[in-house]
Amino acid sequence: MAAEAAAQLYQAFVDQDPAEAIQVVERVRASGVAQDALFDLLYAPAMGLLGGAWASGAIDEMAFTQAAVVAEQVGSFVMPSAARRDTGVTVVLGTVHRDHHSIGRTIVAATLKEAGYRVNDLGVDVRPSDFAERVQETGARIVIAFAETMRTARSVSSIRDVLRAEGIDDAVVLVSGGPFIADTGLAREVGANGVIGGAEAALRIMARVARDLASAGGEA
Amino acid sequence: MAGSTEAHKPAGPVRNALFPVGVDLYPLDDERASFGDWYVRDLEADFAAMAAANLSLVRVFVSWKLFEPQVGQYDDEAEDRLGELLAAARAHDLKAIVTFFADDRLAEMNDVTWAKKRDPRTDDYLIQREVSLVQRIVNRYRTDPAIWAWELGNEAFFTGFASEDALQKWTTALREAIREVDTARAIMLGVDAETLVRETGVDATAAIAQFEYAVSHVTAPYLSYIAEGPLTYGPATYLDSFLLRCNLRSVPVLSDGVGVHSLDGSVAEEAAYVRTALYSALMNRGSGVMLRRWRDMDAEKREPYYRDPFEVLVGLVDGSGDAKPALDEVKRFTRVVARLDLRHYTPAPERAAVLIPAERHEPLPSLAGLYDPRSCLQAYIAAKEAHLPVTLTPEGAGLEGLMTVFVPSAGKLSPAMWVELASFVQSGGSVVLSYGGGDADPAVREIFGVDFLGDHGVRSIVSCRVAQPGLLGDLSAFDARLDLPHYALVGGGSATVVATDATGSPFLTLNQYGQGRAVFIAAPLERAIAQSDPWAAPEPIRHLLRTVYRSVASAAGAGPVIDCDDPAVEIAHFQSEDSDVVLVLSHDVGSKTATLTAERMVASVSDVRGGKPAEVGAKSFGVPLGPNGAAALRVDYR
Amino acid sequence: MAGRSPAVIAAEDLARRGQVGAAVRACHDALALGDRGAHVHALLASLMLDGDFYDEAIAEATAAIESDPDCSPAYLALGLAYDRRGGMSDQSVLVWHELAEVVPDLVTAHVQLGEAFSAAAFDEEAVGSWKRALELDPRESRATYNLAIASLKREGMALALPLFRQAGELDPSQDELFFALLGLADAPVIAVDPARVKPTREARLGAAGLALKADDIFTAAELVRSALDTQPDDAEALALAAYAYLKQEAANEAMACALRAVSLQPDLATALYCLGVVYARRTGLNRHAARVFIALAKKAPAHALVHVLLAESLLALQRYEQAGRAYRTAVRLDPACVRARFGLAATYLTEGRHAEASWEIRRAAYYDTKRQGLFWKLYEEYVAAGEEA
Repeated sequence: MAAEAAAQLYQAFVDQDPAEAIQVVERVRASGVAQDALFDLLYAPAMGLLGGAWASGAIDEMAFTQAAVVAEQVGSFVMPSAARRDTGVTVVLGTVHRDHHSIGRTIVAATLKEAGYRVNDLGVDVRPSDFAERVQETGARIVIAFAETMRTARSVSSIRDVLRAEGIDDAVVLVSGGPFIADTGLAREVGANGVIGGAEAALRIMARVARDLASAGGEA
Repeated sequence: MAGSTEAHKPAGPVRNALFPVGVDLYPLDDERASFGDWYVRDLEADFAAMAAANLSLVRVFVSWKLFEPQVGQYDDEAEDRLGELLAAARAHDLKAIVTFFADDRLAEMNDVTWAKKRDPRTDDYLIQREVSLVQRIVNRYRTDPAIWAWELGNEAFFTGFASEDALQKWTTALREAIREVDTARAIMLGVDAETLVRETGVDATAAIAQFEYAVSHVTAPYLSYIAEGPLTYGPATYLDSFLLRCNLRSVPVLSDGVGVHSLDGSVAEEAAYVRTALYSALMNRGSGVMLRRWRDMDAEKREPYYRDPFEVLVGLVDGSGDAKPALDEVKRFTRVVARLDLRHYTPAPERAAVLIPAERHEPLPSLAGLYDPRSCLQAYIAAKEAHLPVTLTPEGAGLEGLMTVFVPSAGKLSPAMWVELASFVQSGGSVVLSYGGGDADPAVREIFGVDFLGDHGVRSIVSCRVAQPGLLGDLSAFDARLDLPHYALVGGGSATVVATDATGSPFLTLNQYGQGRAVFIAAPLERAIAQSDPWAAPEPIRHLLRTVYRSVASAAGAGPVIDCDDPAVEIAHFQSEDSDVVLVLSHDVGSKTATLTAERMVASVSDVRGGKPAEVGAKSFGVPLGPNGAAALRVDYR
Repeated sequence: MAGRSPAVIAAEDLARRGQVGAAVRACHDALALGDRGAHVHALLASLMLDGDFYDEAIAEATAAIESDPDCSPAYLALGLAYDRRGGMSDQSVLVWHELAEVVPDLVTAHVQLGEAFSAAAFDEEAVGSWKRALELDPRESRATYNLAIASLKREGMALALPLFRQAGELDPSQDELFFALLGLADAPVIAVDPARVKPTREARLGAAGLALKADDIFTAAELVRSALDTQPDDAEALALAAYAYLKQEAANEAMACALRAVSLQPDLATALYCLGVVYARRTGLNRHAARVFIALAKKAPAHALVHVLLAESLLALQRYEQAGRAYRTAVRLDPACVRARFGLAATYLTEGRHAEASWEIRRAAYYDTKRQGLFWKLYEEYVAAGEEA
């Protein structure tokens, strides 16, 4: 079935018939092939056939070029989606009050956004009340606080205090920054639930937290 | 394990008098402060925190400018402030190193306006004034139990000397001035001979030998010169111990100025570096540690910061006085040291040494003074990676007590050194020498059994083909990219060719000479590693070097007693009649478990701080180590 | 400006031939003979810099500038020494600023000025300098790498990655990889006359590779066509065709040829390279690119750039830690790989390891300026200007 469809797609390329090419893709998709699999199952074999036809002289240079143009037009139909799906998980993050370090936070925030998290980045020098306010506003249950100095790192405990004072007892507070790497006990001391060591670690921890929150029945 | 929460907190000593740990307390903590603010703030909380961290020593700095505002007129208030400072230290059971002529580029301590820009190091009149100042202070405190040592100056001050004569003259005058008044207290010069000779060409070795303590001190310029790069792995993590061992001569050495040089690392990296330096000192025959700075300098904030050329920025507590993770490292370390009885346990003897060639002191246009320290550092690292108990020995200092000597990429040795080497090998010692360029000395033929046919010159690929497997350890063939400045063409002779390059030209030879063995490496590998990128040196070349070093040293009886399977883990072995203490230090940012292997059956292993021993019942046991982790273990044998 | 003494001219010759020790001695001979001109100090500065002896290089370059404030090669050596020594970015900014004034069209001065600004935490000024460098030379890869790092710090990886790829394609090392995979790394760049190529497969494909190296796409295409006319299922010929199409920005044709080649010979390195490069350019095919580059890294593990390409595809998949390992492998294989250094810096930044990131960028600058041989260009211009005067 797949080989046959690939041959049809190839033929549509050679015939310079983009409409037919699109129809081939749609037929295959309708048969239950997932979007992410179309490229491998259909498009790549068709392109291989095209290359083989050019190599053998079955089509000439001009036909090859024109077929490539059709292939380009159809490309968007078979590409796996570049954008990650919305996870539905909201996170509020920021660098804590009196701390102006932004590079680590920016990179983590962008990584999470790209991975489909709903990121509320409050920037630098964020007061505990601002964290709490945004948590209430968005319904987020995950907060990530960034700090690079010992004093500001210790002040993360006030974020937890303010959240509690606002009646938000179930929020997961994660922390990130050098002080928490150096002193593994510090995160616990300030009432945090976990430490994020870097952007990729953030993805791992977020995935786990989101799963735990979901299984606990709460909305992430 | 350092970095982990302690399960046991047994009562016991909190300080070790044989290995004091202290910190520099600078007079100013704010860029905007003026010289008159010298120790003006209330230091009670700082001293209390130092005591809580089990520190024994604090270094304080005298401000000549403040003490003697006019010629011969001393400021009573400044003197009283020093008295209060010492009293506060005493109240917290801290002892002081009082440094007289220090420059921190901020407090203007030596900027005596009436001196009219004359040089305080060479001007006779100013030296007289210095003698008066020093005697006045020493006389006042000579019986004060808070004084641990008098120190003449700091690194920044000594870099102003232009000759050995001037240094010797000034040093002698000031030392004698103190001795006239105080015959008991230790006196230190306050400068590292190796870093000073690098910076100024002035050799302070003879001057330092007159004092009771020497210091080793990784200065910012020296770090830039020899190990400019990341601080938590690779060469920089060996630098503190390298300098310590460079300075180990006739007097005990304090590992001084321990701490990071820049604010561009995170507090976690600062802590990791400090941990490495602290353990390095203890593991390499240091007699104590002085940390670089107590409190962070309040300076312009920039992200990601900038370097600290005058060593005054980065402290153990932040600008508000809050402890940074580095201070927690110090606390953990002092607890370990307190539990290590250095009268009972003695370090395993180092029977292997890296030779520091005398040409290291040659000025330009000789390049030896520039190349050799770097080559020596790389050789030292290779020996450490081979887990050899290793030290450094300067050419001419004698080879007594040694069984193996590494001569890394030297351009030349003195005739007397060749004679000494020949005699050393003949009587059973082993030597590994890598070709350093130029014509080979005739002694090479005699000792190493090879005919030198010329220098083939520059190569960009190091190739190794093993002719005699197993003869010098587990070597294997490789081709690796590394710029070699020289390659010796050798032939004939009595040596066995152990390995060749890709075309069959000898690369590694082994000669039995008398009762000993002499190994010749046809290229300056240590220099080539140092001059390329020591953080990214090809692993096959590093493997070859440490394998050869280890094989030769082990065969000569200079090998490790406690072995380890991971080259990035350093081992120090302290022995006693009933048990051993093994210190383990990872020079790596990754977590790992190092497997240690003893020659005897190990019954149990326990943390030196106490706790329940873990039964072993085998020769090998695993030691889990976090990033830049360290462990201090008591090993009991069956 | 005084002329050069014979001793200096001798030192120049030795320095050019890489005889560092002899050149340093010759310079000191010149100094001993009373030649204290800017040339000798500038030469010494360069020689010291070549050995990474920064403090000595700073001293000599400063002496050269004191002797002649227009000595542009000395400014270059001084700026590079400050940068490489670390911790002297404030001084470095002044020097590069000065050099950019003395030699306004010197692209590297603007790139270095940007790096010095960045090290001193003046990010806006840094970006301005790199953009100025790109105005002077749009193909300046290091300026683009730096902009990628700046983008990563300010906007994150998704926006930085296209800049990394753009810089990578400006970097000549990528083409060098293809020719290394082809076995033509050391082959000379020569014109190929198709009429004189023997009518055998090997001769045609070998000549086609040489023609591609000489950027003669038409000759290469003609030779590949001849080979395919004889044997249409020749995977190696198809891979050459894929590369030729890639060079003509004909990505779909390149993909078609590479896919056909890989279907015939799944582990053919040249085909994997072309296919991976095509995939890497398409958003959505990052996973495919990574898969292909993993296969290429298995087939040709000794090439640093293979690991770089793999790392870049991993960055796109947010697998920063694995990318870091691939970059580190590349740096170990080739410490001079600027692209790997910048990529490694990016992965360090994702882990909050700023100091190491800065260091990798400094090392990239070190190797990049070394490769360019800028000192001698400026030195020769300086000598010529002196002779004219």
